[in-house]
Amino acid sequence: MILRVKDIKKSFGGLIALDGVSLDIKKNTIVGLIGPNGSGKTTLINVISGFIQPESGSIEFKGMDISSMKPHQIARLGICRTFQLTRVFRHMTVLECMLLASKTHDTGILKLFLNPGEVSKKQNADIERARNILEALDIGHLGNEYASSLSGGQQKLLSFGMVQMTQPGFVLFDEPVAGINPTLANKIFEKIELEKKSTTFLVIEHNIDILMNFCDEIYVMNKGKITAFGTPQEIQCNKSVIDVYLGG
Amino acid sequence: MFQDYILDTLIYIGIYGILAISLNLEAGYTRLMNFGKVAFFAIGAYASALLSIAGAPFLAGLVVGILLSAMFGFLVALPALRLRADYLAIVTLSFGEILRLFFLNEQWLTNGPMGLRGIPQPLFSVLDNNYLVFYTVMVFVFLIICYAFSEKIMNSPFGITLKAIRDDEDAVFAFGEDTFRFKVKVFIIGSAMAGISGALFAHYIAFISPDMFFPSLTFSVWTMMVIGGSANNLGVIAGAFLIQFLERGTRFIKDFADLGIEPSNLRIIIIGILLILFILYKPEGIIKERKRIL
Ligand SMILES: Nc1ncnc2c1ncn2[C@@H]1O[C@H](COP(=O)(O)OP(=O)(O)OP(=O)(O)O)[C@@H](O)[C@H]1O
Ligand SMILES: [Mg+2]
Repeated sequence: MILRVKDIKKSFGGLIALDGVSLDIKKNTIVGLIGPNGSGKTTLINVISGFIQPESGSIEFKGMDISSMKPHQIARLGICRTFQLTRVFRHMTVLECMLLASKTHDTGILKLFLNPGEVSKKQNADIERARNILEALDIGHLGNEYASSLSGGQQKLLSFGMVQMTQPGFVLFDEPVAGINPTLANKIFEKIELEKKSTTFLVIEHNIDILMNFCDEIYVMNKGKITAFGTPQEIQCNKSVIDVYLGG
Repeated sequence: MFQDYILDTLIYIGIYGILAISLNLEAGYTRLMNFGKVAFFAIGAYASALLSIAGAPFLAGLVVGILLSAMFGFLVALPALRLRADYLAIVTLSFGEILRLFFLNEQWLTNGPMGLRGIPQPLFSVLDNNYLVFYTVMVFVFLIICYAFSEKIMNSPFGITLKAIRDDEDAVFAFGEDTFRFKVKVFIIGSAMAGISGALFAHYIAFISPDMFFPSLTFSVWTMMVIGGSANNLGVIAGAFLIQFLERGTRFIKDFADLGIEPSNLRIIIIGILLILFILYKPEGIIKERKRIL
């Protein structure tokens, strides 16, 4: 198990968003997370990534307790997250966004003046890597455009590219293909599948066909609780799932 | 005489240009609402002036002025940058006023409202006739250094992170950056630059007193940045140029026309109207933020 989430509880005022959620995620798998609107999926990702503190429960990543860490510390362990509403850096170009995401860049100021050669060498290597990733996502020609000038779908692609740029060990995807046409959505999931050999994915997604095709395991949530868990085949036959989710 | 006037104007443009660049790093690129810029300018001015009066060489005073401004920048940033953006504005604004009252009341150190007189001017006795030329060149050397420094860091991974913080701080966490450290660092750099500017100011006019460091100076620098073009270092220098031009121009008008109004008030009105017009119709300023092509 690369990620163990145990009995997480989180409420907002009177509303119980997470009511004792537990997950066990195996290394190098794609795990789907489905559930009706408001069932607590995004909240769960916010808790795992440290953006929200849970009231109780624990989170272990590679055997290490991360439940009290800050978001940037969790990110540094190689856990990368995306946001449901794509967040772009409006005044930055696509390539600048990619550079920000890189983990190999030097943000020190002293080094910039003492060893400028090395800083720019690393940056050039990053730019090269960024160009290749963008190229593979068919947005290579947009490298010098402002991120805010991209279409919604292109922004989703950029945010996927930024995730690749971080070379993460674990990715929390919050609806990575929402609003993207099915062909492109499938293409993104094919890329996710290719990365499976080095990365583990927890993906929130509403499109059942995509989940059935690409996930190894699926968790179903409803009203802050995990109501079903299994392989895509098992989930498809599960009566309660059909009732709360697939049936509706 | 006219040449002297031009040089004097240029010196002020340089001094304000450095201040505008320093504010631009904090507010233009990183959106840190520093409304206490004048405080760090004053620290540079007083520290450098006091040391020089005590007999230290100009450069020693300048260096201590820079270091003290940077240190106070750090001390203010540490608690203030943990607060929400609007609180930062209040804390920095108050800091500037508290500092001014300190300079006003601590007579033993600052000579209170009478100010510090006879601040030595570097190389004055040697240069004599060409002094203004020398000082103009020196101020512009510092302006160019500050400009080049800002450009360099804004084109580095450090600068990219600052711009990202401006756009969406939470999303920067998700990429593993501790945004607080970046904000503190840029605040220290901005304060150090304001210290340079303050020291150059003090040694130029050779006399400083607390009433030169009202919050209005901070707002004047903000106006230069907004009108010139925030997040563009050339733009904010253009802003410093334009505001200086207007401030001086209004002084002359009274020689040619009967205004029926105090010229310094006219100046505030003109600059205020200009600011409103820019915010409404040209919010990007005279020179807009440049897209970085990679
Ligand atoms: N920061 C917050 N403050 C208050 N309530 C919140 C907050 N975040 C989420 N909630 C509430 O918690 C519940 C779960 O929300 P969450 O965003 O996790 O649902 P979701 O499963 O991601 O839904 P969707 O499919 O619509 O994205 C909702 O009722 C929501 O209104
Ligand atoms: Mg959601």
